[in-house]
Amino acid sequence: MATANTSAYVDGYPEVVSLLCGQSLPWLQQQRADALLQLTTHGFPSLRDEDWRYTNVSAIDKKHYGVALKSASVAIDSDWLKTYQLADAWSLVLIDGYFSAELSNLNGLPEGVTVVSLAQAMQDTHYSALIEGRLNSAVESTENGFVALNGAYFVDGALIYISSKQVLAKPIQVLHIATQELAAINTRTLIVADELSEAQLIETFAGLDCAYLSVAVAEVFVGQNAAVTLHKVQVESDKALHFGGTYVKQARDARFRHDNFALGGLLARSDVHTDLEQASECELNGLYLGVKRQQIDNHTRINHLKPHGISRQLYKGVLDDKARGVFQGRVVVAEDAQKTDSQMNNRNLLLSNDAEADTKPQLEIYADDVKCAHGVTVGQLDEKSIFYLQSRCVDEETARNMLTFAFANEMVDKVKIKSLHDLILGQVLTRFPQEGINKEWL
Amino acid sequence: MSASTQEINNLINQEYKQGFVTELETNTFLPGLDESVIHKLSKIKNEPEFMLEYRLKAFRHWQTMKSPEWAFVKFDPIDYQSISYYSAPKRKEDGPKSLDEIDPQVLEAYKKLGIPLDEQERLAGVAVDAVFDSVSVATTFKGKLKDAGVIFCPISEALRDHPELIKQYLGSVVPHTDNYFAALNAAVFTDGSFVYIPKGVRCPMELSTYFRINAANTGQFERTLIIADEGSHVSYLEGCTAPMRDENQLHAAVVELVAMKDAVIKYSTVQNWYPGDKNGLGGIYNFVTKRADCRGDNSKVSWTQVETGSAITWKYPSCVLTGDNSVGEFYSVALTNNYQQADTGTKMIHIGKNTRSTIVSKGISAGKAQNTYRGLVKVLKSAENARNYTQCDSLLVGDQCGAHTFPYIEVKQPSAQVEHEATTSKISEDQLFFCQQRGLSAEDAVSMIVNGFCKEVFKELPMEFAVEAQALLGLSLEGSVG
Repeated sequence: MATANTSAYVDGYPEVVSLLCGQSLPWLQQQRADALLQLTTHGFPSLRDEDWRYTNVSAIDKKHYGVALKSASVAIDSDWLKTYQLADAWSLVLIDGYFSAELSNLNGLPEGVTVVSLAQAMQDTHYSALIEGRLNSAVESTENGFVALNGAYFVDGALIYISSKQVLAKPIQVLHIATQELAAINTRTLIVADELSEAQLIETFAGLDCAYLSVAVAEVFVGQNAAVTLHKVQVESDKALHFGGTYVKQARDARFRHDNFALGGLLARSDVHTDLEQASECELNGLYLGVKRQQIDNHTRINHLKPHGISRQLYKGVLDDKARGVFQGRVVVAEDAQKTDSQMNNRNLLLSNDAEADTKPQLEIYADDVKCAHGVTVGQLDEKSIFYLQSRCVDEETARNMLTFAFANEMVDKVKIKSLHDLILGQVLTRFPQEGINKEWL
Repeated sequence: MSASTQEINNLINQEYKQGFVTELETNTFLPGLDESVIHKLSKIKNEPEFMLEYRLKAFRHWQTMKSPEWAFVKFDPIDYQSISYYSAPKRKEDGPKSLDEIDPQVLEAYKKLGIPLDEQERLAGVAVDAVFDSVSVATTFKGKLKDAGVIFCPISEALRDHPELIKQYLGSVVPHTDNYFAALNAAVFTDGSFVYIPKGVRCPMELSTYFRINAANTGQFERTLIIADEGSHVSYLEGCTAPMRDENQLHAAVVELVAMKDAVIKYSTVQNWYPGDKNGLGGIYNFVTKRADCRGDNSKVSWTQVETGSAITWKYPSCVLTGDNSVGEFYSVALTNNYQQADTGTKMIHIGKNTRSTIVSKGISAGKAQNTYRGLVKVLKSAENARNYTQCDSLLVGDQCGAHTFPYIEVKQPSAQVEHEATTSKISEDQLFFCQQRGLSAEDAVSMIVNGFCKEVFKELPMEFAVEAQALLGLSLEGSVG
């Protein structure tokens, strides 16, 4: 079983170290050194790792990805950018991992709200209390080889801070754009929402038509009674490899929701881990559409650490051609976490003979007074529903399209921000495995 | 369900009742494992040459393997050199010809277990093969079965009398390279049952094997091979017990089932190995590989298991659904109490067209036990219209136990329909209150609710076993309520 080789990333490190942010911070240098050591000793995950048994990462060996240089970025067409950048949101744009002030739109942020490039924030002692002690505390480089790679290599990213009782009127978007062939893009996002705050955040990953490696790690700290929604719209180029991890710590009574629209990438994996304190709630949703030879993975881990936590998961996949969809969900209910209420659902629709769905919904329960359930289905459209539509004079092909679209649209409809909803719907429609979706159905 | 609280109290104070030791003169190998042990074993069994070669091949392969660590169980490494690989009650050189020649103490031991080997006393319609430590001591109703054409005998006897069948089928479902414990078993297995049902025969009675570990410091490695030829039908039961000892004993069995065209095999297990004491001391390590190959079209294999014993249970009775329209079923109740650990489930591999499988698993965890369901449903590209339904429910009794579910679902065929559902809950206060309000004691109420929880599985068991299983459930839950 081939294990992807890390030597190119380890040996090349001294050459690129001057590009990395936070040079002046000794604690960060130590963390980077630890991450590199972790990557050196443990390498990238292999199929023998239980959490990676369906994700073969040996594809990163086939090409040599090097750290993207800021100067090498390709100019971006502004109309193209507009398809991904929301007009009614504050946005922070990262081109090949580096912050672009010209393209970003951060005017009129209310007082108490910070949206800033992580590299800039690290040079400003004003932010050091926010960053130090939080960075690398929601996830450690021991998590897996890609988190370690990211920990050693991240060049920039975003710092988002919402002070207590602040309720954001507009969403904040972090837009990751890749422009360079064979670039390895490592970004880090740190999100801190203080108590009683509310925010809608969007992470968008898009790229020009080229092959690149995108590794994005986000750490989210949701304070007591705060509510954070994070929409991830992953529309990477169809030659790209994407490894995204979102690691969340929820304080007491905190609410967190994550929606992942995974549409792009040749191999795209998304990990969402969250730790729930007393009475905190989380909702994780996902929609993945796979066509051609795409592999799209969703991995979740929910740790119920304290009583009265609630978690909900719904992941839906539509897989066509030779695409493969993977869902691995894990809910752990600790001994203390009585009265936990957890539900996990994964539904897969296979449209072609060569498509594949692998799913592993796991429950690990150490408390007795809990309600935990999970359900999984893999199959086709309901023949009765098709018959019903046919009996109403809808031809079979249209009926199938309608039902397939409705299956996916349930997830799109959960997005309440109008502009984002339209953006996602547009992306879903262009990437939809079947043609002939009628706009009148919407 | 028990009739009164008094009876429950009696039950609570009751020990593991099969925990006695039978004092016997035995032939036992010194502990240790190397090729000479395998040569000796093969010689003592009078095996044909090909068998010795098979064992040595397996042993050499086993030496290259490492003990697997992926299961959700914890135990200290096993010292395979401190186990004795053969122990048999002493007997006349050429073995007993009839029941009269069996050591009366062995007969007595089986009587105490409620398995009298005397054919007259036996419940009509069940033939028993009794395996005591490493050897089969008796097989009942041989004559009657022979008239029907059914071969039911110890596997060591089959090796001598039907080598062609053994050569053809042994290791064809579970190859010696399959896993660590299967390789070990292939190298050192001592006895077990062999069943062959010829074409078109419906086996006239239930077949049953009763396994008993008696000697200390031994491991039991039995091998069961059941072949159901075209259009045949057989129902097979398996039961097991062991004495109470402070050390852990290893039981690493392999069971292979082959179902040809239109054949039906029903395999039921009531596993009641010694589970260790209240503090988790002693008990059997039950590391078993069970697999059925539905080779022929329209064949059907049904596994039913009630797992109440063993310190650690680690087994996945599986079905390889090769034939078109073949059917695999798995019904399981796994109960763990005190410090017991169970990691059990099934694998359903859909290869043929229109194959169907059903999985119903009920896990009950009490005390400080850990109970894990682990199952794989795999639908290959060739398995058009495959259908699977999985339901696994866990019940937690007490706040220090754990219940875990690890289902693996891999589908490569769009016309397949796979459904999985799982729930975890405890006995609700409302249910208990309702029963108590109707005059039932708390213990009776729990027993009734638990039995109701398991009913779906129990109804699959043959009648005699269903009664035993219900009684066992009450017994194993003792001390965990209220």
